[in-house]
Amino acid sequence: MNNLLKKDWFGLGLVIILGSILISFFKPAFISPFNLYVLMLSVSLMLVVAMSQMIIIAIGQMNLSVGAIGGLVAISFTGLMEVYDVSVLPAMFIGLGIGIVCGFINGYITVKTGISAFIITLATLYIFKGMNLGITEAQPFYEIPESVKYFGNAKIFGPIPYLIIIPVIITFLMWVLMNRTSLGRYMLAYGNNVQSSELIGISSTKIVVYAHIISGLLAAIGGMLVVCRLQLGTPNIGDSWLLPSFAAPVIGGAILAGGKVDVIATAFGVILVAIISQTLVIFKIDPFFVQIFLGFMILIAVFINRYREYREDRRNKVFSNE
Amino acid sequence: MKTKIPDFVKTNQFGLLLLVIVFILLFTFTTDGFSSRFNIYALSRVVAIDIMIGLAMMVVILTGGLNLSLGALGVSAAMFGGWCMESMGIPISISIVLILLFGSFLGWINGYVTVKTGVHSFIVTLATMSIYFGFMTLLTEAEAFRKLPETFTDFGSMKLFNKYISPLLLLSIFTCFVLFYLFKFTDIGRKLIAAGANPDAAELSGISVNRMFIYCHMLSGFLAAVAGIMLTSRIGAAIPSMAGHLGFDWLLPAFLAPVIGGTLLSGGKVTVFGTMLGAVLVTLINNGLYLIDVGEFWVRFFLGLILLFAVLLDRAREYFTSKNSIVS
Repeated sequence: MNNLLKKDWFGLGLVIILGSILISFFKPAFISPFNLYVLMLSVSLMLVVAMSQMIIIAIGQMNLSVGAIGGLVAISFTGLMEVYDVSVLPAMFIGLGIGIVCGFINGYITVKTGISAFIITLATLYIFKGMNLGITEAQPFYEIPESVKYFGNAKIFGPIPYLIIIPVIITFLMWVLMNRTSLGRYMLAYGNNVQSSELIGISSTKIVVYAHIISGLLAAIGGMLVVCRLQLGTPNIGDSWLLPSFAAPVIGGAILAGGKVDVIATAFGVILVAIISQTLVIFKIDPFFVQIFLGFMILIAVFINRYREYREDRRNKVFSNE
Repeated sequence: MKTKIPDFVKTNQFGLLLLVIVFILLFTFTTDGFSSRFNIYALSRVVAIDIMIGLAMMVVILTGGLNLSLGALGVSAAMFGGWCMESMGIPISISIVLILLFGSFLGWINGYVTVKTGVHSFIVTLATMSIYFGFMTLLTEAEAFRKLPETFTDFGSMKLFNKYISPLLLLSIFTCFVLFYLFKFTDIGRKLIAAGANPDAAELSGISVNRMFIYCHMLSGFLAAVAGIMLTSRIGAAIPSMAGHLGFDWLLPAFLAPVIGGTLLSGGKVTVFGTMLGAVLVTLINNGLYLIDVGEFWVRFFLGLILLFAVLLDRAREYFTSKNSIVS
């Protein structure tokens, strides 16, 4: 039990359950099938986006271009199907390929030049977004095949959408990657301390490039999922991803300096953000408040993480004095 | 014996100056209208604000941090000013003082939270960005202030020097000199740099690093507020969307100018005039891209490429200069 309390996701899970009970007590509409469906849709999309940012946070960097990659893939995916009559599967694979290439560019330049990933991904953000606007001239693609529309709309049973399958699988795979594979552990080691990870023989190039490739791949999947949901490919897909992509991992206890992320807590962070946004909508609160709220939640999470670190430090000190 | 190359030639600023001259010559001869009075005047109005934004980011980069909330902060300050002048009828001079105080206060919040939590300023300013922008949109209901006092808006459309230059540019250049003096010759300026360069050493030598970092964030808020005032005066109205959604339109010039100017992202080094030249270069290229007619949608793409190219070039320069110093 004591062990459970120390986990990042435990407190979050508790907040989510108690919060949901409290909200549905005041507003029964919260647990209506339609609301749950909408909630799950927004969780599915943000889950992928949050994971895409989380893996970069794990290696102690940040990726500003997550949204730009998602947007570029979204319009390429729909553009290929509409303009060049490519069928769904090849278009999807090309989309994934674009995501991988974008991620590779980010990772390779970052690790080879040693320039902060922030600046590199800020530059690539503009490059990818510029390509997106240059190709589309800010016009959306509307012609989406029926199968894609169906996937984005249909429900498995009850309020559970098909769209949630891929994000759940991705979350599971990310958990396996970060907790059960040597690549994931190497990434955390690299994020924790670059020098010592190199000294024990971990290749920085490999770690950074792989992390960015996975990030690009996930951003690509996120972009295509949005296409399925919106039923069209607009150039502004991904524009609003930046804040939530950092919010969920940080609320989930990730340390931005790298070396510590928690996949389950990040997922819970996504759910918490989605519930709060949804609740604000149900209570008819101005949508701009959602943004303010998200900002405050990040700050509160940061303070809580800091406090826990401080307490842990103090406890460690007591032991070392004995 | 080899003749000694003057130190100035080796600096980043010299390279930038050359690039600026090359681009000016290039655009003058290859495009129509670059050297027209109208275009130069328009450029001077744009570059004035880009310089100010670049400086506002530079003083936070000095601490090794970033200020993502720059645009949101600047627009919030400008909207606050619009409210002071239009709704409250406060005289212009007092309003400007209030705006600057307000900007510094928002900067103080950034600095205080960053220092107290020990979290990277990136995440703190990411949060405050959405908080500032959200509150601003909520309080103004996304409505612009369009009936500002005429003396205030006239300043933004004034033309000096045979109608070539906007007074806004003179204000920016003046600010550059003030900041240069601050960082070069004043006690507090040197302390700010010391705190950014090596926090531990600065702390040991009796400088309160936390306080210096908070000062840097306050200065950033102050300069962002100045940029907000200048933009309001130039447009003739305070508009919530004048820096894009969440103030994101300011971010690229904000980073481009100091980075091209040679400010180290790890902190501890500022180049005021480098930042100024960086902003000039970016504005020139931006203007040139429009004149060459690459299409407005591709401008972003090229700006991104230029940022990438600039940091790579800077990296190469660093590499070669460090190699030289080992040999000698």
